[in-house]
Amino acid sequence: MNKEWGYQMAKKTKTKNSLDVDKGLVAMFLKMSIEERLRANDNAARTILELRNAYKQQRTNRPEPKRTA
Amino acid sequence: MPTNSKEPTGPNLSALLEGLLSSDIKFILVGGLAAVVQGAPVTTMDVDIVHNQSSENISKLLAFLKSIGAFYRRSDNTVIEPKEEDLSGTGHALFTTRLGPLDVLAVIEEGKAYEDLLEHTVEIEFRGHTIHVLDLKMLIELKRISKDLRDKQRLPVLEETLRQLEEK
Repeated sequence: MNKEWGYQMAKKTKTKNSLDVDKGLVAMFLKMSIEERLRANDNAARTILELRNAYKQQRTNRPEPKRTA
Repeated sequence: MPTNSKEPTGPNLSALLEGLLSSDIKFILVGGLAAVVQGAPVTTMDVDIVHNQSSENISKLLAFLKSIGAFYRRSDNTVIEPKEEDLSGTGHALFTTRLGPLDVLAVIEEGKAYEDLLEHTVEIEFRGHTIHVLDLKMLIELKRISKDLRDKQRLPVLEETLRQLEEK
């Protein structure tokens, strides 16, 4: 396992409380301006929709399974 | 019956919020976006508002809804445009618009309407306008009594956000 990755994960786990809230993420968002927070949400919402559409498309394009006698 | 040919191009909730403010509509921002603007790291796909139900405000809201091509969000793709009487009742009106989904709520948990919620809001400056946003304390209180599982899941993040805000 990559040592740096392991260290980052350990650090991340440490900043989470018992309810599994990422305190660092909360602190990061609190540092943002209103405009930045709204932009981050818009970008996230668009990405989610894009991924959902891609998933739907992939399921539509999937070939029908062959039937066996 | 006409069908849904006005597919939105992708959500732009900031623009939707700005449009409501520019149209001089009296409303309180509630729900996920209220949490987002107060710094909670959550993602929401729609704008939820509780509107003032004066006839003047409803006319402004209706005009704005028409300007952004709003129609009721339905599973059968039938286009039903908003009407004045839908916004003056006590129900929820859930719309799809060109700028993203918009939920217009007459009341929220425990029958709380615009006038009841106003004292629990914070005023936030956004693009030259003032938004009335339901404060985090009240949002948390409402989520605690909510029966919606998604509200319960979001609760710890909101509580941590409030804790860090009060620490500042």
